[in-house]
Amino acid sequence: MKKQKLTSKLICTIVVSMFALLFAMPLLWMILTSFKSNSEVFSHNWIPTVWHPENYSTVWNDSTVPLWRVFFNSLTIVVIGTGGQLIVSSLAAYAFAKIKFKGRNLIFTFFLGSMMIPVQATIIPRFILFYEIGLYNNLWALILPSWFGITSIFLLRQFYMGLPNDLMDAARVDGAGHFRIFSQIMMPLTKPAMISTMILSFISLWNDYLSALIFLVNKKLYTVAQAVRYWLFDDAKPYHLTMATSTIFIVPVVVVFIFCQKYFVEGIATSGVKG
Amino acid sequence: MNRKRENIVGYAFISPALLTFLILVAFPFLFTIFLSFTEWNFLSGWSNIKFVGLENFYDMLADNRFISGVKNTFIYTLTIVPISIIVALILAYLLNDKVYCKKALRLCFFIPYISSSVALAAVFKLLFREDGVVNTLLINVFGMSEPILWFTDKHYAKIPIILFVIWVQIGFELIIYMAALQNVPKELYEASELDGVTPWKKFWKITFPLISPTTFYLVVVQLIAVFKIFNAIDIMCFGDSAHYNTSLVVEIYKSAFNNYKFGYASAEALVLMVFIVIITIINFVGQKKWVHY
Repeated sequence: MKKQKLTSKLICTIVVSMFALLFAMPLLWMILTSFKSNSEVFSHNWIPTVWHPENYSTVWNDSTVPLWRVFFNSLTIVVIGTGGQLIVSSLAAYAFAKIKFKGRNLIFTFFLGSMMIPVQATIIPRFILFYEIGLYNNLWALILPSWFGITSIFLLRQFYMGLPNDLMDAARVDGAGHFRIFSQIMMPLTKPAMISTMILSFISLWNDYLSALIFLVNKKLYTVAQAVRYWLFDDAKPYHLTMATSTIFIVPVVVVFIFCQKYFVEGIATSGVKG
Repeated sequence: MNRKRENIVGYAFISPALLTFLILVAFPFLFTIFLSFTEWNFLSGWSNIKFVGLENFYDMLADNRFISGVKNTFIYTLTIVPISIIVALILAYLLNDKVYCKKALRLCFFIPYISSSVALAAVFKLLFREDGVVNTLLINVFGMSEPILWFTDKHYAKIPIILFVIWVQIGFELIIYMAALQNVPKELYEASELDGVTPWKKFWKITFPLISPTTFYLVVVQLIAVFKIFNAIDIMCFGDSAHYNTSLVVEIYKSAFNNYKFGYASAEALVLMVFIVIITIINFVGQKKWVHY
């Protein structure tokens, strides 16, 4: 009986591994191709005949779209965007959960309703607005909209509602106001929920493409997504460099992921598993 | 507690969220509705906004590209969502205690989801080229005679895109399913084992009903996500995007930012929103009807 179970587990592992290998194949091809010369990109051998690690320094120090600057741009957006969203959402979530103010439910309903509005139904007027106030070709055009994150407000509100009111009452007897209760007692307790929202916001901002395409036309402001596009659609078809660029943008995220796998998985799972 | 004070403090706390919401979501949304009744090329300046009533909506019905976009969007959602969810469920079931090296294997499926979709789409574009790896494999290993023109052939144009989105989305579905499976009480399995229930029956009678809320959630979330499909198509089909692979959002983007027809694009965006509202309503009603808790 026990032996049978072990065999079945082994067979399952082999089947799933083969499938996993299939999933990893495109990435493997990407990494190997990033070390090839341009003429070899579509040759039948996957392994480069001559390795060209200098592809990486070429894209990193390119004169028009150097990747160090692309990294800097994308990191600026991700850090300020995620940080801002965390602060704005925490404040709102605390208010929705713990402060009884007039119109609370109405505003919250409006916020929730906005979940149904796709970005495409707001981006044209937003484009006009940013164009008129000079935020076109400006990283803030991507940062500011990310500060309103209804998913994070919702997630954090759930978390605040789960925190006992006794904590507040005790602090209140000592004369603490809402802001002190929030910043010194409640917010530190929401760390797990904050990490979840941080990760979700990080993934969505790092991968944002549509907004970058619309708002950031100046090559100096190119983000991750646009740098890949820049190499992919270059007239000289430097596909080895395109793959080097893709690799540079994927590997760091994967490394971060491996180290914080637990948080990533929990973050995505808590946002998803309801009830 | 002083009521007035609570009101002031409450609004102070939500004001950053409320302001960004009003300026960057609510107001633009109302403006989109207004624009959908107008004809306006943004480059021609504010004074040239022309009110045209429902004309944009009539035009859409006669616009072949738009109709292809809607049709294709439905084909994308109706293939990607069921396939990816079924595969994710099978994988999650196997990865949960039925395999060795669970964490390493899970990582392989998860990497595409956390990576930049544009960087990944660039890889797929090259893999599916006429002289790319996929054709080479089909010719050398499976004996196909002619390479397939994946992005321009009418019959195959959607396949790379469908495979790509499945590849990217499975990681997300897998993680959620694995978390849900962990919540199924072990005693139920133990009890059924004592009764000699087959694994097949165990899955359908115990596991599947208990995780039905998760399945329902995933179907809704993925329907909405795939409905907004854009990145993959824009990257992979750039230059040869045709009726065969265009989508609703690709059409909105083209009307607005290639042709600067802001009025028409706004009307198209509202159609997208109507579809999303319908999915959300089905979600609301369906949750009560079909989900076992």
